[in-house]
Amino acid sequence: MAVYDTFISKDFKDLAEDEEIIGVIRDLTPGKSKYRGKYAKFVVSKDENKYPERLWIRLGRGQLIEKPCSMKILEEINIFPEGL
Amino acid sequence: MAYKYYKDNRTYIEALKRTGDLIEITDEVDWDLEMGAIVRRVCEKKAPAVFFKKIKDYPGFTAFGAPIATYRRLAVSFGLDPETSIPDISKEYLKRTMGEPIKPKILDKKDAPCKEVVITGDKVNLFDLPAPMVHDGDGGRYIGTWHFVVAKDYDTDFVNWGMYRQMVYDEKTMVGPVLAFSDMGKMFYNKYVPRNIPMPFATVINPDPLSAIASCAPSPISEAEFTGMLMGEPVELVKCETCDLYVPAHAEIIIEGVVLPNVTLEEAPFGEYTGYRTSPRDKRTVYRVTAITMRKDPIMAISNMGVPTDEGQLLRSFSLGLEMERMLKDQGIPVTGVFMLPESTHHFVVVGVKPIYANIATQIGQLVFGSKLGPWFHMVMVVDDKTDIYNKDEIIHALCTKCHPSRGIRIEEHGVGTPLNPFASPEERLYGRAPKVVFDCLFPPEWPTSMVPIKVSFDNVYPKDIQEKVLSNWKRYGFKD
Repeated sequence: MAVYDTFISKDFKDLAEDEEIIGVIRDLTPGKSKYRGKYAKFVVSKDENKYPERLWIRLGRGQLIEKPCSMKILEEINIFPEGL
Repeated sequence: MAYKYYKDNRTYIEALKRTGDLIEITDEVDWDLEMGAIVRRVCEKKAPAVFFKKIKDYPGFTAFGAPIATYRRLAVSFGLDPETSIPDISKEYLKRTMGEPIKPKILDKKDAPCKEVVITGDKVNLFDLPAPMVHDGDGGRYIGTWHFVVAKDYDTDFVNWGMYRQMVYDEKTMVGPVLAFSDMGKMFYNKYVPRNIPMPFATVINPDPLSAIASCAPSPISEAEFTGMLMGEPVELVKCETCDLYVPAHAEIIIEGVVLPNVTLEEAPFGEYTGYRTSPRDKRTVYRVTAITMRKDPIMAISNMGVPTDEGQLLRSFSLGLEMERMLKDQGIPVTGVFMLPESTHHFVVVGVKPIYANIATQIGQLVFGSKLGPWFHMVMVVDDKTDIYNKDEIIHALCTKCHPSRGIRIEEHGVGTPLNPFASPEERLYGRAPKVVFDCLFPPEWPTSMVPIKVSFDNVYPKDIQEKVLSNWKRYGFKD
């Protein structure tokens, strides 16, 4: 199971579950590439066992929510113009 | 004539070692928070700079932390004795930057240490550099904390060096805020973005100390020429690999690429110079990397912003205050000194002046807030020429006794500010608004002399001969200092 985190700009209670979210997630796999960002479409559940990946939630100024969520990545999205 | 200075951080590190202003850590440290925690404590304790000799996951790299976070280290960077007083360091800065700008010297690539390793194309990988996770809760690993970004105006020769923080996003991407009122912001948003043209950039990590100081200085002179003035001879630059920009040849690591117009990515939060994590996670400017060049055995740099005092606060306060002094004198204001307190996170400046006419404090506030320097601070305190602007006890005494709580405080509601102000409302942050305040700590010159309160201090209410007698006998009485 891969472990990621993401930042949300709203209160944790308002986090949309089981709905497609587009945003940046960070890969927390230990090693040189830890904290690598991915722009992705994903779904989240506050049930940590519902989806295959673990997702930690941080609020807008970095506050960590103590209990992890689960997540499924639906698609990675490239936002960079071709050739750049 | 060249002044005494250090051409790179290696010689500067050796100098700090000699003066007792550097600690070497030979234990392996983790780039993931441990390095940051050590440097944070160094800043809060005003401890010596730190040289990390072994970094987890990154053999071959070392790192230099808190390079100029004290006035002692600032003095050393100018080649001065570390005990040099703040006014004397200031005099040295003003002396070196009074003359004509000095154009840089261009080196061949083969003579430039920052070209010892050149990585381009698919081999470029930012994760091959030990960018630290500086604070727990930051939005990413900040590779740009003690660095500057070089960028050139689209249709003029104007080149800017400025410290714009940069967070690693992926192997070839960095993200960071570029404020619209900054020099790079003006050229990027006014010229490149409307044309949808990527703007070339080069990030200079761990530059020599005087280049770094120049990049923090809000001088109208180009930073490369300003560096030459500080050095007393041309700074040595070398051309980039993938663009036409020039970078200091003796820097440790150079990251080249383009700033993308009309593309944004989430960046922050980050522990900022105000001592808070204020800016929320938000969409900000994107840098795509095309090349990395560096010295053999490169030295990463880490500055850790937070509660005072880090080098951002110290250097920015130092140069903002002195550039303000220069500007006020150019305007004919009888200024006797300007000191911006680093502990104020460069928000509070004390201006000493000969109070020769009414409302001179208001005029000073209007000039400094209305200048290019204005967005970075919001409190100006004006004191008379008898007050020691470097003495916090005197400053507090003047504020609490000479500033009238009503007519002595002048508020301007509609100033330009930064989104990083912790006190600002969400709306003020969004639109870069900040109120400004002047504390007029001058007794009004129209008061009759007989009405002006007399300051009761040793040097003001005793005859000179009594003062001299007491001072000459002081140690004999049994006092130490």
